[in-house]
Amino acid sequence: MRLRIGLLVIAMLLSLFGARLFQLQGIDSKAYATRAAQAGLVSIELPAKRGRILDRNGVPLAESVAGVMIVADPTRTTPNAEAIAKILSERLGLDYFDVLSKLTKKNDQVRFVYVARRVPSTLASSVMDQLRQHEYVGLDTRSDPLRTYPAGDVGANLIGYLSDDPAKFSGGLERSFNKLLAGKDGSETYEVGGGNRIPLGDNSEVKPVDGQDLTLTIDRDVQWYSSRVLRTAVEQSKAESGAAVVMDSRTGEILALADYPTFDANKPGRANVKDLGTRALSDVYEPGSVEKVLTASALIDAGKVTPQTRFTVPPVLPVLDRKIGDWFNHGTIHLTMAGVIARSSNIGTAMAATEFTPEQLWSYLDKFGLGQKTDIGMPGETRGLLPPRDQWSSLTRAQIAFGQGVSVNALQMATAVNTVANSGQLVSPSLVEGRATTSSGNEVGTATTTRRTVVSPEAARQTAEMMELVTTQDVGTAPGAGIPGYRVAGKTGTAQEVGGACNCYADGGLAVSFAGFAPADKPRFTVYVVIKRPMDGASGGGTAGPVFRKVLSYVLQKYAVPPTGTAPSTLPTKWRPRNHG
Amino acid sequence: MSSLINSARAGARTRVPRFAEAAVERARLTVVPPRRQLGRTQAARTPFAVLVLVMLAGGVVGLLMFNTNMQQASFKATALQGQVNDLTAREQSLNMELDRLREPQRLASAAKALGMVAPAQPAFIRIGDGRVLGNPTPSSPADAVRINPLPSELPESIKPKTVIAKVPKKLQKTSGTDTPGTSTNVTREGGRKKASTQANSGATR
Repeated sequence: MRLRIGLLVIAMLLSLFGARLFQLQGIDSKAYATRAAQAGLVSIELPAKRGRILDRNGVPLAESVAGVMIVADPTRTTPNAEAIAKILSERLGLDYFDVLSKLTKKNDQVRFVYVARRVPSTLASSVMDQLRQHEYVGLDTRSDPLRTYPAGDVGANLIGYLSDDPAKFSGGLERSFNKLLAGKDGSETYEVGGGNRIPLGDNSEVKPVDGQDLTLTIDRDVQWYSSRVLRTAVEQSKAESGAAVVMDSRTGEILALADYPTFDANKPGRANVKDLGTRALSDVYEPGSVEKVLTASALIDAGKVTPQTRFTVPPVLPVLDRKIGDWFNHGTIHLTMAGVIARSSNIGTAMAATEFTPEQLWSYLDKFGLGQKTDIGMPGETRGLLPPRDQWSSLTRAQIAFGQGVSVNALQMATAVNTVANSGQLVSPSLVEGRATTSSGNEVGTATTTRRTVVSPEAARQTAEMMELVTTQDVGTAPGAGIPGYRVAGKTGTAQEVGGACNCYADGGLAVSFAGFAPADKPRFTVYVVIKRPMDGASGGGTAGPVFRKVLSYVLQKYAVPPTGTAPSTLPTKWRPRNHG
Repeated sequence: MSSLINSARAGARTRVPRFAEAAVERARLTVVPPRRQLGRTQAARTPFAVLVLVMLAGGVVGLLMFNTNMQQASFKATALQGQVNDLTAREQSLNMELDRLREPQRLASAAKALGMVAPAQPAFIRIGDGRVLGNPTPSSPADAVRINPLPSELPESIKPKTVIAKVPKKLQKTSGTDTPGTSTNVTREGGRKKASTQANSGATR
């Protein structure tokens, strides 16, 4: 009997337990689970560290550091708002009144405001310590990785900028290599008790995959120096913009690609939107006389002319319905091909180009890479314009021979001139060291460099000798671009810019440029400078030439390239007709 | 016990015919010795129970200690993690400071402050034969490269302007008793005043 009663009691108890179990697990298990999770489960995002962008020596041009955001609950900070705002504005350089209004309660709904974002974490923790000492409550920190650009505006045109959502708003390499740099965020969920992790508690973790570093061929020092020299020249000539390219002649590695005006990568928001891109790649212009280098080397390669070929250059040359003139007034003069290049005669070049059919010149220029993207991994590159082969008239041929009617970007032109420096072999330029894939799937880098022969080594050598005359005192158009002691090959360019309301040459804008390399007989570096829309009185030799000389001297010295010590070019530039007059 | 069986066996042989001896031998019942006499199992039980209890207690205490230890380790891990975060942040800050110090712009300003300029013409000494390559030329201040941008020009709207107000001829005639040039003085002063207030407002900003 006693046994029975006992059993009954046990059965009743168990069924009570069963009922409760059903209530908990069957009816609203989810609600309880979430409540449990809220009580002790912490879920955090493990942000992947964004890869750095390094220069060729491993100096960071862009890097991510631990940063935090300071957030506040206005309902709790209001009592001490003034004192907190004073500390924050002093320590973090924020605007006092701005902070004060954020920390002051407006209504009960707003319980979360951002006070400061992307604060370096050491600074933030010391500020928080200070606030804690004063026992001011209502402020907290959250992780907010910080992207810094130690070089500021140096190379900003290449590196680009970044926003909270890189997929939507970013520029430069930060944009085109976003996938590679970004990595993949992870997450972690664990239980805490009193601020400490509960061992053996619920725990799940997805490890973040850090972004990869991107190493460039840029040398930060060269980039800095070229950008400063360029800035000075653009400011002095009151020009609209300018670009400078420094390239290793043999490998096509870009050591510097400077633009001015540019922006401070740490404060892209303050910049003019137009300055955020890379003008050297996105702006097109007519190359002007620098183009003559390509025409001349092609003519020599095809065996049509030699540097000694004689031309009788008239004051004006009528072609179809136009008249071609020279930049300097002259009567009928007698120039050799070398003289045509040294004195930069449009008429002489146009006359030499008649040796070619339009198709022949077109195919050479096509091989020089005009009208084709350089594809170095930068977004927003223009392909320029080389008119299609079937649209060429004899006027087109004459104009294009000296650089009108064809448009290029600065890097394209530098690459084309570098072909002459690199023994007639076009080497594709590269900005990225090794091999890297852009977000759009393009593989770029020094490992993917391609080479193709455009002109013969002999033609390239002869062209270089003619270009040497350009920087020779009393002979060429730009003696100021030469470096005493060195054999420097160069070519000036002054082209009218198409613009204004009529979309014609009439508005008077110029693009003055200078391209060249040194040492002329064993080229190491190719430098190209273009300055757009300078004020009156600017010329390729006078404005862009000094920039070229300064930048080239700097790289030659930095990379310890001594002069070759060989005898300079002594090609004749003029000839005397025998039975003249 | 075996002697007991043997004696019983000897007794049986005398009474039972020889042929049945084997069967009898099989059928004989003997008394099972009392359990207590087996005593050895009883003797083994106590140590076993003690062993189990000890293991149980040991397990519980061990688990408790293990758990406590884990908790301790967890506290320590949290503390160490905090330290790691602090040190990482410090390292990064120091690295940023280093980056700042190595920045070409800063180095250039420092060099400029010492009166240095970039060499205008590269020249080298070849160690092997002591030959000088290139044209060594002393640099002059003219070779210096400006490292800072020009100060940006003020927009037209905030440039101080001198306002020249022309006094109508009629007014000049009526105020003919005044010394000539008064009107210009007034405008000049007015202009100056305006310029100075604008300069002030610029300074306070």
